[in-house]
Order: sequence, then structure tokens, then C-alpha cells
Amino acid sequence: MLTFLSRRLLASLLVLLAASYVVYILSANAGDPLDDLRTTTAKNKEELIQQRIALLHLDVPAPLRYFIWLGGVLKVFIGQFDLGKSRSGQNVTDMLASAVGVTVQLLITATLLAIIFGILIGITTALRQYSGYDYTVTTLSFLFFSLPSFFVAVILKQYVGIGFNNFLQAPGFPWWVILLAALIAGAVWQGILGGNARRRLITAAIAGGATAVVMTYVSLTVWFSNPSLGIAMLAVLGVGVAFLVTTLTSGLANRKSLYTGLTVVAIGLAVYYPFNLISDYLTIWSVIGLAVLTVAVGLLVGYLWGGTDRGVSARTGALTAFLVGFLIVVDRLMRSWNNYATSDIINGRPIGTVGSGTPNLSDVTTNFWIESVDSFTHLLLPTMSLVLISLAAYSRYSRASLLDVLNQDYIRTARAKGLNERTVIMRHAFRNALIPITTIVAFDFGGLVGGAIITEIIFAWSGMGKLFNDALRLVDVNPLMGFFLVTGSVAVLFNLLADLSYTALDPRIRVTV
Amino acid sequence: MKLTRVSLVAIVAAGALALAGCAAGGGSEIQTGTTLTAVENSPFTSANGGTADGNTTYNNNINYMTSSGWNYYDNTPKLVKNTKFGTYTVVSKSPLTIKYTITDGVKWSDGTPVDASDMLLAWAANITKYNDAKGKVNFTSAAAGGGLDLVTAVPKISDSKKSLTLVYSKDFVDWETAFAVGMPAHIVYEEAFPKVTDATKAKDALVKAIQGDDAVALVKLAKVWGSSFNMTSTPTDKKLLVSNGPYVISKLVKDQYITLTANKDYSWGPLPKLSKITVRFIQDPTAQVQALQNGEVSIISGQATADTVAALKGLSGVTTTTTSTSTYEHVDLTFNNGGPFDPATYGGDATKALEVREAFLKTIPRQDIIDKLIKPISDTAKLDDSQTILPGAAGYDESVKANGSADYAKVDIEGAKALLAKAGVTSPSVKFMYGKSNTRRASEFALIQASAKQAGFNVIDAGDDTWGQKLGDGTYDAVLFAWQFTSLAVTGTQTQIQTGGGNNFNGYANKSVDTAFTTLTGEYDASKQQALLAQIDKSLWTDAYGVTIFQFPEVTAFSDKVKNVSDNPLSPSVFWNFFDWTSSTKK
Repeated sequence: MLTFLSRRLLASLLVLLAASYVVYILSANAGDPLDDLRTTTAKNKEELIQQRIALLHLDVPAPLRYFIWLGGVLKVFIGQFDLGKSRSGQNVTDMLASAVGVTVQLLITATLLAIIFGILIGITTALRQYSGYDYTVTTLSFLFFSLPSFFVAVILKQYVGIGFNNFLQAPGFPWWVILLAALIAGAVWQGILGGNARRRLITAAIAGGATAVVMTYVSLTVWFSNPSLGIAMLAVLGVGVAFLVTTLTSGLANRKSLYTGLTVVAIGLAVYYPFNLISDYLTIWSVIGLAVLTVAVGLLVGYLWGGTDRGVSARTGALTAFLVGFLIVVDRLMRSWNNYATSDIINGRPIGTVGSGTPNLSDVTTNFWIESVDSFTHLLLPTMSLVLISLAAYSRYSRASLLDVLNQDYIRTARAKGLNERTVIMRHAFRNALIPITTIVAFDFGGLVGGAIITEIIFAWSGMGKLFNDALRLVDVNPLMGFFLVTGSVAVLFNLLADLSYTALDPRIRVTV
Repeated sequence: MKLTRVSLVAIVAAGALALAGCAAGGGSEIQTGTTLTAVENSPFTSANGGTADGNTTYNNNINYMTSSGWNYYDNTPKLVKNTKFGTYTVVSKSPLTIKYTITDGVKWSDGTPVDASDMLLAWAANITKYNDAKGKVNFTSAAAGGGLDLVTAVPKISDSKKSLTLVYSKDFVDWETAFAVGMPAHIVYEEAFPKVTDATKAKDALVKAIQGDDAVALVKLAKVWGSSFNMTSTPTDKKLLVSNGPYVISKLVKDQYITLTANKDYSWGPLPKLSKITVRFIQDPTAQVQALQNGEVSIISGQATADTVAALKGLSGVTTTTTSTSTYEHVDLTFNNGGPFDPATYGGDATKALEVREAFLKTIPRQDIIDKLIKPISDTAKLDDSQTILPGAAGYDESVKANGSADYAKVDIEGAKALLAKAGVTSPSVKFMYGKSNTRRASEFALIQASAKQAGFNVIDAGDDTWGQKLGDGTYDAVLFAWQFTSLAVTGTQTQIQTGGGNNFNGYANKSVDTAFTTLTGEYDASKQQALLAQIDKSLWTDAYGVTIFQFPEVTAFSDKVKNVSDNPLSPSVFWNFFDWTSSTKK
């Protein structure tokens, strides 16, 4: 193992070194770094050109200039890591640190959501293969996949951002919108749940009816102006979560598991009011602390319900606790919404179309919930546009992978020996289907630091994508090489991780020297 | 029982944890102030826009709002003096001697008076002597090699320490915009020598260092001046934000926005109306338009495209205006490359070459280019008819009347054919260079090519994306690009036109024009300056130097919630009258 690792790392280092030389030569010749000065009307044009040449060592030919850069990189061994300066005089190391941070902030949620929803869609479409639902979802995901990101972004801004903000000025639905939404909801749900015509009709009626009722309620109470779930709604949702989690983890037949879930929901409802009382004094760290505590309580409840299957109950408890806690936090955020949206600094238009936050918000409040809502309103659109575009890949991979597994002999054996469908799918099929997806996920996380050029520029987030684009446009070689160094190293690292995770997940594969 | 116990434990534990992480001064009350939000394409990177790497429009627009000057350009454009800040008088014209005096009571935002030491630093930082890329003292000034180099002796400080006298060793006509009070001398010194914390002592020490040409001290000062003011987020060292303008930088968030807060002491110039101005950094023009539509920003301004203008016109509650900027598109013909416009091609027959040049220029569809490419953006766009004076500036109309540009106002195919016939040249080939990937220039080229073909010119597409590097290398006969007037300096076009000038890429040489420029350098009377510029302008059109076509349109759009916004053809464009801006939005 150790030999494998060291060999791989050494080879990767050499590849990186060679690639950096090629990239340096290519980027140094990608254009004219003095372009803007050549047509300046400034009297001191010559001096300006000389200053630029001195700053970027342009008097040294590129094949040799590379070694000046490499020298700075190698100074890492004497603790003076130096990637040079950009044309505007900034240290490239500082630029990279900030850009990586921004990119991770922007892309991590989007990537996680894309993976979760992509796999969910993949599984459901695989289980309902060749149904109307399968075809519809496939068509839609491919539609979004093929749309250019700048287009999706602009459309989202126009309708989900500006349109929604306009809607908030008078947040009610006209009757025909409610009717249309009800019809769509009915059509979608009968497609997912399937069955014979009678069952489909009933499903459609229930789903459509529920949608109409909710929308009418929301419309009449002007819910969007001052949203919240409230304890009653939380109770309903919580019980729903408890049943869902139990169904997936242990099956409803395991009563202790179900009771664990329900107990956790009861605890959640009990701490609802105390939590809201203290919530104004919380910070990000105390909220994380509470989340850990919540999971611990869930585990404890499962353990105390005990029985022969303590582990399973504890798992149900932990998952339910986390989800119920999440719902309570969502409710708390909703309670800050009105305060946020109607404040002078937001002026009734909460959804932001640019930037990572409202300027100067910290001057008027440092309240954790308001700041979180602000982050949410600014992350919403870029995250949506990234998720919509990358959903297709994950859903197709997981669909194909699950179908592949479902046709295996051992699945037939599992069914033949009388296991219920839940166990067959969750324990035998789903786990194995995840193995190939792991590789893709590892690569995607590696690629994540590369940023999303277009999305970043359109939403005015200055991450790695924008850094790369700017550097290339200005033929600013130092930031460009910094970008290459980071993305190249991360790619190599995640490649390695993908290999290792593969061996960990699939016992048939062994790392060979 | 079990349940209660568990939940009790949970509540107590949750409470303990939450209190441990209690936020200081928490509470959800949002308070208010007044502000307005504008936009720039690129982030702010330096509070000293005078350095080579900090000298960007984006920095200078912000620094314009945080500093005071002797004068500024209004949107006529005309130079307006701000005598409340200080005055300057011409003591003598030979040698040119200017006395700059700061008004009493003008001070930096830390309370230190602005005085001659600041001016002395501004002189030292911008002269070539202290900007030697290979030497020790290098302030890395963007102005080194400019007019201040002519002030060779260390300028004298008055006894009151409020005045500085610059003595130019040669005539220098554009002195009025050549000198500004830049960075605070005491801060620069204190940053370079952290042991000194007293402003007066710092000022005195700095003056002594410059007067004594103290290289050791100057190296440190130069380093501070050149790089310490570079910042991408609010610096921890608040001294770096000390300024003397209507606003001071109060917050800078990397790559997101900068917020300026009104300087409460400020009284030496036009008084600003807003307590805060925030400038957000948004690169994408569509994103800017949508941010304006969504109320996230109140003013946007930038190079106009047909798309952005169309999008803006469709918005309600938004006023859209277009301005012709100081950047102007033009076609230059090459005089010295052995091509169709070079007399050498015709055995030194200057008349023949002139006739071919005139013929070619007559075929350039100037009005057509404006109608097809610029009018959709700015319906008030007009031909730029002068090679030496910016449209709208004093003297432009007079010059245009007499310079002969009227001969090239309309395409004259017959006239061109007649000229070619007279010269005895049939179907000459013209290698035409332009920025190939620039769609507007590609369209302009297509129009010119088609038009010139009718007169018998064979225009060869020499479009190239590295055209900037190829300027002056003789590989093309005609070139299409833009120059920018950065000020109304009367010698602004000198390097392009004078024989052997640094920007004279087409080998133009005319002795009477050179003489006129020499006279101009020593002419301080405005009307005589205009007469000389008109004379040069006329020579250029008569010699068929090339044609000017249009000024780049810039679009400015602002929400109905803000007032008194207008654009300026010269930098700092829309920011020029920030002190007049008002906003009905409280934020």
C-alpha cells in the first residue's frame, strides 16, 4: 500500500512538473501582456512599458522565465512559498486563497444537492423504468443539461429572482395558477406512484387537491410575506419524517424503531419554544453544537428504546432527530424572513441576483438568522443554475448503475429467498449501485476547485473560474500558473482518492504495486 | 417518565451550549442610514491610483471620491477649478513658474493639515529620477516620464508651509492637469518608519529626506508609496485609509463591494449629499442590468452594446442615457511602408500618393458605419470630424468648419474613381488591419471593403487579434482602431502626429505640423492654442492622414430613486458629479 502511494505520488509530481512547463509556455504566448499600453496616449508610454516589463520579468524569454516562477514555488522548502505577483500587484498566493474559498462556498452546496437529487431521481426512474415519469424526468434533465449556463442563469434571475421579488409585492395566486399547479402536481405524482388507472386517478386527485388547498391557504394568509411552519405543521411533517426514515432504515414492522422516531419528534416539538426563545443569541458555532447534540439525543433515544436491534433504532433516531432539527431551523429562518425582507437595506426585494451577500448588512445587524437568510437569498440562484445543469449526469449514471445491479443474479437470489423489496433495494442493490458513482463524485469534487467560470462571472462571485478567466484575458501568467498548480494538484489527489475508495468499497478490487 | 427525562436533559444541554456560543450584542433590529449603490466592472485594488499597477479606471473612480484636487472636468467637458481646496497661480511664464497654495483648514481625515509636504511628496514620487526600474529608488509611478520631469530642481516650500512653487525648466503647456496632491506625506513616512508617530515630525522628516536626496530614506518611502496602499479588503491598518476628499473608505470586501462614508470634516469643495456610497463590482453587463432592475444597484454605466441598451430601454423606473466618450474610432493610412499610400511607391511622387489616399478615404462609408453600428446604441451619435479636438470641447466647432473634413462626410465613389484615374493607378491593393475578433470592427471592415471595391480598391483583409503589437511595423496599409483622450491636454495628440512621435505608427511627417506643435508647447493662451490645433487638424485632413469616424458610446442607466446623475465623456465618467447625487432610498 505504502509503495503504491509513494509511487503514485512521485509519478504525479513529475507529471505536474512537466505539465506546468507546458502550461507556462502556452500561457506566456497566449497574447500580449503589454497590449493595453501599446495604444495608450500617455506621454510616458515608454516608462509605463518598462515598469510592466520589470514587474513581470518580461525581458526574460518565457522558457527561462518559467524557472523564476519555479524558483518561487520551490522556496516552499524554506518556508517562503512565492507564486509571484499579478499585474495589479497582488500576491498570487492571497488571490488563490480567497478564490478557492469563494468557489468552495459557491459550489459545495450545489454539488451536494446535485448529487443527492441526481441519485434520488436516478433511483426512482430506475425503479419506474419506461414509465411516463421516467420519460418526463429524463427529457427534462437532458433539456437542462443541454442549456448553456449563461442562459439558465439569466432566465433564473429574471423569473425566480426579479419575478419572485415582484410577486412578493402582492403575494397571492390567481385562481388559474392554483388550478394549473394542481393539475401539474396531480400528473406528476400519479406518474411517480404508478399503478392501474383507478389508483392513478385517486393519486392525482389527492395530490392535486392537496396542492390546491396549500396554495389557497398560502395565498389567503399572505404566507410568503411572513412565512413559518408553526408547531402544528412541524408536528405533521415530523411524524411524516419519522415514518419515512423508519421505512427506509428498518421497515415499519420494526416497532421499536418507529417508536424511537416518534419519540424524537416529540422531543423536537418540546424544545421548539425554548429553542426559539434562545435563538437570537446563537452563532454559527452554537448552531453546529446544537446539531451535534440533536444527533446525540436521537442516538440516545434509540438506545434507550433498546430491544435486540439497538443499533438500528439508534440510527433511526439519529436520522430523524437531524431532519426534525433541520425543520426547526428552517422554521426559525422563515421567522426571520419578514424582518429581513422588509428592512430598509433589503427594501422588499430579498432575492439577490449578484454577489455573495447584501453590502453592509453587518453594519445593521450581526444576527445569525438574518445573515443566514441573506446568504440563502444570494446562494439560491447560482446554486439552482448549477444544480439544474449538473443534475442530468448524476441521475443518468445512478439510473444506469442501479438497473445494472437489479439485473444481477444475486438480486434474483435475494428476492427468491423472500426478502422484502425494501431490503432488496436499499441493502443489496443501492449499495452496490453506488460504487461506480463514487468515482464520479470523487472526480467532481476534485474538479470543483476549478470553479465555474460563467456562473461565477454572471453572479459576480470571484472564485477560481473568474481568476482563471481574468488571468487568461490579460495574459497574466502568475495567477494562471497559481490556478494550474491548485487545480492540477487537487485533480491528482482526488484521482488517487477515487482509486483508494474503490478498493475500500469493492472487496474484489485490490491495489497492486 | 423516560421521555420527560430525556427532553429535560436535552433542553438543559441545549441551553448551556447556546449560552456558551452567545453572540455579543445580538438582536434582530435592523437600523438605517442613507446610501446609494453604483457599479464598477472590476474590483478596487489600490488606494493609490498613481502607481503603475494601481492606475486603473476602477481605482481612480473611487479615489476621485476620496480625494480633493485643484480642478476637475465637468461633462461639457471643461476644466473647473476648486478654489476652496487651494489655488494655483502662474508666477512667471519664462521659466514657467506655478505657485500652489493649500487653503487653511484643509486637512486629512485624521485631522492632520494638508500642506506643502504632501505636495513635495507628490512631486518626488512622480519624477523619473525616483522611478528608475533598475535603480534603487523606484516609486513605480504611472506618471513618471510625464511633465513633472521638467521640474528639475527641488520645489521650494513657503514659510507658512502651505505653498509649493514648481519651476519648469522648459515650456509645458499642459501644466494645469499635471500636478495633484496625492498621498498623505505623514502616513507614508510613518508607514516607512513605524517609530515615528507624530504627524508634524513625520512631515518634516519626509521633507528633509527629499530635499537632501536621502537615498536610504527614499527607498523605504518609495516602497510604501508604491505598494502599501494596495488593498483588496479593508486593511487592519486604518492609517492607509486616510484621505482628504468628501468621502473616506469605510469598508472594502474583496471582489464584492467598497463602501465610502462621508467625511464629516469636509468643507473644501462641492458638498456631497449622501452619507454613504457603495460601489459593487459586477463584471457582466447583463448582470448589471438585472441588478439595476432588481433594485440591488441604482446606477450602472459602461461601454454600450445594442443588447444592453435594448434591455435597459425595456425597464420601467429606470432612466437610460447614452454619451459619446473620449475614445474615438479612426482609420489611419500608412505613409512609409512602400504600400499604395506611400509616395516611394510612385517614385517619390507625393501628389500621386496623396490622390490615392484621398480616393481611398472618400470611399470610407463613415455615416453608414454610424447609422448601422452606432445609432442602434445611441440615436444621437454623430460623426467625429476632428483629428485633434474632442467633440464638445472648446474649439471643436470652429476647427471642423475649416478643416476640410466635409469632403469626407459622404461616400464619393465617382470622386474616388476620378482621383485614381488622375493618379494613373488602377485597382490598388490595400492591406487593412483591425481587431479580428472584435465584431464591431469586423462589421466596419466589411462596410469599408464593400464601399472601396466600388471605386476599384482591392481591400485585403489583414484582420489580426495581435494588431496592437503590429502597430507601426509596416505590414499594413490602413488600420482601424481607437485612441482615447484622457484629458483635454492640448498636446494630447502630439505623440501620434509629430514626426517620430512614440505613437506615430503610420510614418506621417509634415514640417509645418511639427512647427505648430513646437509653438503649441509654449503657447499659454487658450484661443491661440485652439487656433494652432485647428491648423494642425486642417493639415491632417488636407494630407489625407486618415479619417476619424465615431466616439465610443457609453450607456448610463439609473433608477428613478436617484437624481442628478449624468455621464462625462472623460474619466471618471459617471462618477464626475458624485457630490450632486441624491437618493430617496434609505438603506
